[in-house]
This record gives sequence, C-alpha cells and structure tokens, in this order.
Amino acid sequence: MVDSKLGIFGLLSDAGPVVLFVLSVLLSFSIVSWAIIAFKFNYVRQSLSESRAFLDYFFEIYNVDKAFAESENFRKGSLPRVFRSGYIEYRALGDKADLRQVRARIARAIKREANAESKRLSSLVPFLATVGNTAPFIGLFGTVWGIMTSFHNIGTTQSASLAAVAPGISEALVATAAGLAAAIPAVMAYNFFTHQIGIIERDLEEFSPEFVAAFINEP
Amino acid sequence: MEKGQKLIYTEKKFSLWLAAAAVMHALVIFLAIYLQSIDARRQAKPKIVSVSLVSLPGVAGSHEFSEKKAGGEAHPATSPEAPHPVVNKKSVDLKKALPEVAPVTPKKEKKPVKVKEVVPKAAKVTPKKIAIEPLPAKVKPKAIEKPADISKALERIKQNVDKKTAASPPQSAGNLNDALARLQQKVKAQGTPASSGSGSGQGGSTGARSGAGKGYGGGTSAPYKAEIASIIMQNWEFSKLLLKNSYGMEVYVRINISTNGTITKIIFDKRAPSEYLNNSVKRALEKSSPLPVLPKEEGAKDAWIGFVFTPEGIEK
Repeated sequence: MVDSKLGIFGLLSDAGPVVLFVLSVLLSFSIVSWAIIAFKFNYVRQSLSESRAFLDYFFEIYNVDKAFAESENFRKGSLPRVFRSGYIEYRALGDKADLRQVRARIARAIKREANAESKRLSSLVPFLATVGNTAPFIGLFGTVWGIMTSFHNIGTTQSASLAAVAPGISEALVATAAGLAAAIPAVMAYNFFTHQIGIIERDLEEFSPEFVAAFINEP
Repeated sequence: MEKGQKLIYTEKKFSLWLAAAAVMHALVIFLAIYLQSIDARRQAKPKIVSVSLVSLPGVAGSHEFSEKKAGGEAHPATSPEAPHPVVNKKSVDLKKALPEVAPVTPKKEKKPVKVKEVVPKAAKVTPKKIAIEPLPAKVKPKAIEKPADISKALERIKQNVDKKTAASPPQSAGNLNDALARLQQKVKAQGTPASSGSGSGQGGSTGARSGAGKGYGGGTSAPYKAEIASIIMQNWEFSKLLLKNSYGMEVYVRINISTNGTITKIIFDKRAPSEYLNNSVKRALEKSSPLPVLPKEEGAKDAWIGFVFTPEGIEK
C-alpha cells in the first residue's frame, strides 16, 4: 500500500532544512567521535602495554643505563617516556651539581614529562563527553522541529488521518535516533578511556619517585 | 623540533582515522539503504495482492449482482437495438441453468464477472425468452445425481421450461412490455437533464435501482449510468472495518468514457480523508474499464460521468 522505496532514507528526502541540518551535525559528530575512539584506543592500548613491559624490564635489571637503552624500544609507552626525560636530565647535570640539586632537577623533569604525557593521553577525550551529552539533545531538537512542521502541515491539509500525521512524526524521530546513535558509543568510549587513562596516570605518579631514586642511587 | 615532528605525526595519524571513520559511516549508510531496498523488493507484492479480507464480505457483491439484473431489465426501454438486453436475457437463462450445475462446481457462482463470459454458451442452449420460475425446489434432490446424468437432467429441465413458457407466453411478454413502456416513459420524461450536463442526475435511480443516483456532470443516459454503476459496484472492494472514523468519507469522482467504453480519465473532485477509500475507488474504476460501449445517442463523443462514493460503494 505504502510505496516506501527506501524506508527511513526515503522519508528523509522530504525532510525540512532544519532536520537535515541537525542530521548532518549529528553525522559529523559521529564521524569525529569514531575517529577519536579508534585513534585513542590504539594510543592508550600501546601506552599501557609498553609501560607494563618497560616496568618489568626496569625492576628486573635496575640499571638506568640499560633501562634507557631498552626504553628506545618502548617509544609509545608513557612510563618509558618519563624515564627517558629523567635520564636525559640526569646525564645533562653530570657531576657538577650537588645531590639535593640533582634530585630536585630530575624530579622536576620527570614531573613535567608526566604532565605532558597526561595531557597527551587525555586530549580529544573530552569531545567524546561533549558528544555523549549533547547529541541526544540535538537530536531531540530536530525531532521537536519536525513534529512542529508536521502539526503545521496537518493544520494546512485539514486532515488528521494517520496517513497525514505518521510520515512527519516518523521523519522527525529519525533525528532522535541519530542523536542516540552518535551519543551511545561516545559515552561508552569516554568511560573506557577515562578508566584506562586513570590507570596510566596512577602508574606515572607511583613510579616517578622510583625513577628519581634509581638515578640518584645508580650503582 | 622533535616535539613538533611528533605533533605533526599525531595529527596525520588522527586525520587518517578521521577519513577511515568517514568511509565507515558512508559504508554503513550505503549498506543500510541497500539492505532496505532489498527488503522492500522482497516484500513487494506477494500478500498485498492476494488480500481477500477486503473482498471477503461479499454481501455487497451479491447484492450488486441482483441489482445488475434489475438494471439489465431496464435496458430494452432505452436502446432496444443495443446488444446489452440480449446479454442480460441470456444471463437470466444461465441463472436458470446454473442451479443444477452449481452443486458440482460451486466456485462458478461466486464471481459475477465469470457469468458474463459464460453467457454466450448458455444462450445457445436456451435461445427463447423464459420467465423465472421457482425451479430450485425440484432441482435440489437432482443435485445428488452423478455427472453422467446431468445432461439428462438438463434435457428434462429444458423440456419443463419449454412447456411452461409455451403455457404462459402472453402473460410474461405482456409484463415485460408493460415494464418497458413504463421505463421508456420515465426516461423520456427525465431524459432532458442528461444533455444539460449539470444536473444532479436523480433520474438514473428510477430507471435502475443501482443507478448513479447522485451522479453529477452527467450527459449520458440514465440506464447507461445505472449499468456502469452496477459494473463498478461489482468491482468494489472495501472493508469498513479498516476505517476508524466514517465522518466525511465521501469521494466525488468524474470519469471520462471514450466511445469504445474505455475509461480514459479519472478525476477526483473531492477526496476522502482516507487514502484507503480513495485507492479503493480508483481500483474499482480501473478494474471496471473497459465499460460497455457508449449508447449511440451519445454520438461519436466521449462522455463524462460523475459518481459519489461512500464506504458502502456508489451512493444511491
């Protein structure tokens, strides 16, 4: 009876400009979200696995020179990066400064690198939170606008039959569905990344003093 | 320098993922469209065509068939030379012949359209005019007979009918002639609005009970309207159960009939709020085409005829 060639997509061909704009915004949100998800997933996974491997190696040999040489193989890990920055500062000081000054400068260098690493890890992640929070509302806006238009059309045609009402509402609801489709993966990914980044940051906090001690007490 | 290079590398990597995400979205959308189109193709025709729920009620159909009979009797009044009266007489003969055959093949009785196709054969069997007699009482017990005996039974019934028609020809012929004369008078008395083309066409309903009672924009003779109305009603398929609200359910429609009886145009002057009703009207009209040839009095022109449809069919 109903000639619906392409179902929902067929409905969208009759959608108003506001609904189309909302849908295009949601589509771009979704594209960027998925790009961030894929990018961050790789980044965090590599950082976590290389940090663990480097820590194992570090506590196994407890030799800063060998550890530095090995850290070249873990360039994507957060802990190896922090260690490398501390080691470079340590070697730059040489034997000129006294012990307190050396400890303070190494600690400062390690902290700076840990901060930078923390920023790198959490960059782009807030966008996922933004999408997760706003996409359903943007979709809802599109739906409300579509239903407004639909009711206006009902008034114009002076017909309240299901055939006159249903397509407009169905078309409007697509915006809410698109908002949810963009928001759900973004929220899930945000929670996952927040948890993983939290683990790495705790590792950085815990092992930074260990690295400083290792440089000072170098055998 | 090293940090700057790292930043550029990171940006490049991210833009790569961005492109991948865009491609992925495009693929998902394309797949969704493709799957929906496949799904639509799969579900395209099968059960919508064979829905018999709409046509099941059937009460209207049988009613219309009887009405058509009434309309058929009215024909000779207006156009005795036209082929229709002969056809209708033959259909009466067939009616008479059918009760015996019906128990063997009951399906044949269901569709009035099929009756028309069979008519010529029946005409060959009984070419004479016959008054309808209460035969079924005699026929019922014979219905149990085997197919081999059917021809014998038919012969017997023919003989009976011949006797009866021979016994009372003046009365039946007189009745028929009286009815024809009355109809002719009525048509002549009300025949003028047909040529004006603007009247409400009430005259149609007197000539034939099923006629296009509220037909407007006429111009054709009332019996012809009645005939096509009954044909359209035979093809009328609509279930009122599917309507939630019957308020304002009227469709004003005009059809253009060419000289050979084909419906060339269907114009909706007023549509009903229900698309189902509108579609039913359109379907019934399309199914009814071609209609009987326009009467000769119409000349060589095509004709416009209007109808008002309600959920019950053509409004009387």
